[in-house]
Amino acid sequence: MVKRNKLEIIKDILKIIKDNHSIRPTPLMRMSNISSHRFKKYYLELLEKEFIKEIFGKNKQIILTKKGYRYLEKYSAIIDFIDEFEL
Amino acid sequence: MVFMIGRGIESGLGQGLGKLMNLGMGTEIIYSFVIIFCSLMIYFATKELYKLSSHKGIKYFRQSFLFFAFAYFFRSFIKIILFYFEINELRTFLPIFGSITLFIFMYFSSMAIFYLLYSVMWKKWESKSINLFHLVSLVIATTISLFNNSTIYFLINILFFVFISSTVYLSYKQSKKNKSHNLYIIYLLLFVFWIFNIIDILIPNYLQTFQLFIYLISLGIFLSILYKVIRKTG
Repeated sequence: MVKRNKLEIIKDILKIIKDNHSIRPTPLMRMSNISSHRFKKYYLELLEKEFIKEIFGKNKQIILTKKGYRYLEKYSAIIDFIDEFEL
Repeated sequence: MVFMIGRGIESGLGQGLGKLMNLGMGTEIIYSFVIIFCSLMIYFATKELYKLSSHKGIKYFRQSFLFFAFAYFFRSFIKIILFYFEINELRTFLPIFGSITLFIFMYFSSMAIFYLLYSVMWKKWESKSINLFHLVSLVIATTISLFNNSTIYFLINILFFVFISSTVYLSYKQSKKNKSHNLYIIYLLLFVFWIFNIIDILIPNYLQTFQLFIYLISLGIFLSILYKVIRKTG
């Protein structure tokens, strides 16, 4: 199996949230298929970059923000660009 | 008296504008404008991709074109002064001002090339900080602004070219993707013609016969990179 790069892992995490509309952190971590240590790192980064938002109700839920949706929209363009210019 | 001074200023401005609008200057202004426009377009067109991805390669790529825009701005500034005052060498006419302008131009020029190189090589060069290239650029800029010697200019640019071309060649050899070979040719041409642009400023009239050719190829290179960027960014 090919090792996923950072951009791909972020895309996968955001896609899981998008497909579920909202999700709790533990199932998100399980579905992301990465270690808890790495998941925590990515999770904090996504919160800091405002790609995701936490909603506190009965349980803590995670939803995508506009920026998160935009990342998913632009993901192919980002990868194509990096590939085209060998960055 | 006031009327005479006014007439004097008016005729001076008229002559100045006349000088600015001759064919050589016109070509120079259009050339610089197109290159600065292309560089800034590349910089702003990639803004969102960088903001979303925070990818280091995209960051260095963007910075390279921002530095190209600054460098071309100072290049055209020097050219306009040379044309306007009908002089061959900026430093002989305005020593301190000339040296400072050349220093800024050379620093931005070197950094533009180093950033572009770094955008391709950053994964392999992560141990080498970009600050090292800032330092090298400062040394190049200081040497060129302090010494008024064509041999030194040639030597620096030859060393610069050997370093860049060998790095691009090594990167090309290591690249597994056939489709990107065009990119290496474009980058190599960009580096070669950028060095011609530098020599054109440092050693006046040396490349005058080929000036139009250098300008046309340089424009073609920048426009082709802009086309590639716009195609990918939408």
